[in-house]
Amino acid sequence: MFLRLVADSFGRRPRRKLLTGAALALGMAVVTAAFSVSLDVGDRLSHEFRALGANLLITPQADSLPLEIGGVDYRPVNSGSYLPQQDLGKIKTIFWRNNIVGFAPVMEVPAEVSIASQASSVKTTLVGTWAHHSVALPDERTYATGMEQTNSWWHVDGRWFRDDAAECIVGKSFAARTGIKPGDTLHINSADRSIALTVTGILSAGGPEDDAIVAPLQIAQQLANKPGQYRRLYVSALTKPEDDFARRNPSTMNAADLERWSCSPYASSIAYQVKQVLPGVDAHVIRRVAEGEGSILTRVRTLLWLASFAALLAAALAVGASSAASVIERRSEIGLMKAIGAGSGTIGFLLAAEQLLLAFVGGGVGYALGIILARILGEKIFGVAPQPSILVFVVILALAACVTLLGSAIPLHRASRYEPAPILRGE
Amino acid sequence: MPDRKMFWRIVRRLFAAQRGRLLVILLALGASAAITAALLNLQVDARDRLTKEFRVFGANIIVAPRDSKSSGADVLTLDESIAQKVRQSLPPRASADSYLYLVANVSSTGSAQPVKAVIAGKRTEGINRSSWRSAIVTPRGNENLCSVGVKAAQQLHLQPTDHLTLKNDNREEPCISEIDDAHGDAQDSQIVVNLDAAQRLASLPGKVSLVQVSVAGTPRQIRDYIAALAQTVPSADVHGLRQFTDAEAKIYNRVSGLLTATTALVLALTGLCVMAAMSNVAMERKNDVGLMKAIGGATRRVLRLFLAEAALLGLVGGIVGAAAGLLLSIWLGKTVFGVAARPRLIVYPISVALTILVAIISSYPLRRLANISPASVFRGEA
Repeated sequence: MFLRLVADSFGRRPRRKLLTGAALALGMAVVTAAFSVSLDVGDRLSHEFRALGANLLITPQADSLPLEIGGVDYRPVNSGSYLPQQDLGKIKTIFWRNNIVGFAPVMEVPAEVSIASQASSVKTTLVGTWAHHSVALPDERTYATGMEQTNSWWHVDGRWFRDDAAECIVGKSFAARTGIKPGDTLHINSADRSIALTVTGILSAGGPEDDAIVAPLQIAQQLANKPGQYRRLYVSALTKPEDDFARRNPSTMNAADLERWSCSPYASSIAYQVKQVLPGVDAHVIRRVAEGEGSILTRVRTLLWLASFAALLAAALAVGASSAASVIERRSEIGLMKAIGAGSGTIGFLLAAEQLLLAFVGGGVGYALGIILARILGEKIFGVAPQPSILVFVVILALAACVTLLGSAIPLHRASRYEPAPILRGE
Repeated sequence: MPDRKMFWRIVRRLFAAQRGRLLVILLALGASAAITAALLNLQVDARDRLTKEFRVFGANIIVAPRDSKSSGADVLTLDESIAQKVRQSLPPRASADSYLYLVANVSSTGSAQPVKAVIAGKRTEGINRSSWRSAIVTPRGNENLCSVGVKAAQQLHLQPTDHLTLKNDNREEPCISEIDDAHGDAQDSQIVVNLDAAQRLASLPGKVSLVQVSVAGTPRQIRDYIAALAQTVPSADVHGLRQFTDAEAKIYNRVSGLLTATTALVLALTGLCVMAAMSNVAMERKNDVGLMKAIGGATRRVLRLFLAEAALLGLVGGIVGAAAGLLLSIWLGKTVFGVAARPRLIVYPISVALTILVAIISSYPLRRLANISPASVFRGEA
């Protein structure tokens, strides 16, 4: 009988029920979309932040003081220490290996460039690095990385050099000063060694590299006579914004804290892990990048949660209001039921069951709509759709139920006090 | 005239008759106005705030000497007058630092051998308010303080307040060390001194290597500023630090797209929700409409009556709600950005207007009531 009453109520006024259900579904759809995007935004933005380039810098532990101005080291080749290139694959063996999106070793060599068309030679710095290099990993796979990944803001007019060829790209100010064009052949001298390189492109980096020559790492190694070595390594990793816990010194932590610390992808814990796999290195977090990232990410995330919360509030309001209205308009029905002997509890239960049914159907439809909405949003803004999450589904259903019940609670309470007689008289 | 008097009298009566229900609608409208105002204000404010937040990355524009083919000098420098010009052209929330770099021998009381290090002479040209840890890096006034990077301090076995001697050719500058925090980049191996000291040391009076400018703004504003600055100082090379300008532009566009989308969604939802609630209530007016028509009310006049009611409700809800929303956004701004969001006055009339609009549109279902014949209403049908 109970079920029949509920079914009857839906059957009799499909329009009205549809309206309330639609409001519910719509509200829940927006809440679902907002939640899905908010949950996802941290990941998406930390990918975007990689446009800032490396957030970790690896240098030899026992090193002389670098003479570094704006990212280019002006030390002569023979001073300071170097790191072995063959170890680099080990970086992709640390716990957070999948968070490392790229790395590039760098070695600078002071060079004298003579150009065919000009008699004199020009002094500059040759920066040896990888453009797009396959690194052999310890598990026999290879991993391709280089400046194209870590320094995505470097713009090359022409094409990048190939890492195994005698090619180079030339910084834009240097090219403007010397009149070098792509296709030219440069003769580079450093100490007593000399090498000929073909220019494949003009680099605009917006940094000191604009005044240098960028060439494959192995060319720099040949010129410096340091085969298989590099001076600095830039690592670009997806990280979690640092908090107070992240800044603690791992050597003073107890075992449980240390485990929690190294199981969070903080920049500092990734640096710590890199330091463990590469012998003789110092790993620094580039504060300027890492802290900026952290603070912006935190703000954006809070902002989005606020917006989601506003959506939730709006949805709750609407759903509450429409369920309240749907109870109020059924006064005469309630009066009749009371007159033929239904208790307040039974009526409350009946109406609540109706509302709940509506909430689950509306919430379910809303969730499906919301996921579609979130996909569209995610693809439009980030190019990647957020993953649908079961958690959101459960939360949405619970929310829908709560909101409808709360919305109808006050009118239901009032309804329980109705006297059937005046209602039936139409007063 | 009496006609109008009657009109408002009926509207007043309509309000008085169903106080409870009106309160619900008013609450819904007010809350929706509050959400609209808070979100709009926060959205406008957040973009602005975000561009400021980007300044934690530090300088985003570099003014460097322009290379000339003829210059055979080893070090390219700018005249200090250019730094002056840059300072004069700075927009309100910007700062500029002039730097002169040189390599000098550094010896301390603790180290036996002098160490070669990069000396960066620095002078802050603008108010450097929020730039990252700038307070520590900037040597203050004429005090002979130099801020030593952690790596340099390690090499020199320095303690804070040790005496250092910087030596270049036969020129010497003494200074008292102050150890800087770790930055993780080139600054860690540099020693930052007063620009004047660096100029004396390099014997390049009145010269700087480059000027770093930090300007807040949308990617477009920054582009425009770079173009304007390049015109102000045509003899220097002005360029954006692409690592930061590019990434900032990208992130700004993403985040502002995200905010706009979310705000639009929530606003649409709020509107729809209020509509649903109001039209539900409007349908209850069947009896009233039937009665009015029966005693000779023209359909248009009856409709006008209800529209006036809705607009009034929207106005009251909007005025109260939007004010509450603005207050809410001030508080929210404080929690998100640590600084209270500035209330933008334009948001207030917009939210009120939107609320009235929503209220009027929600009465749209009343149109259907116009088709009701009074008789069927009184018979209790329809």
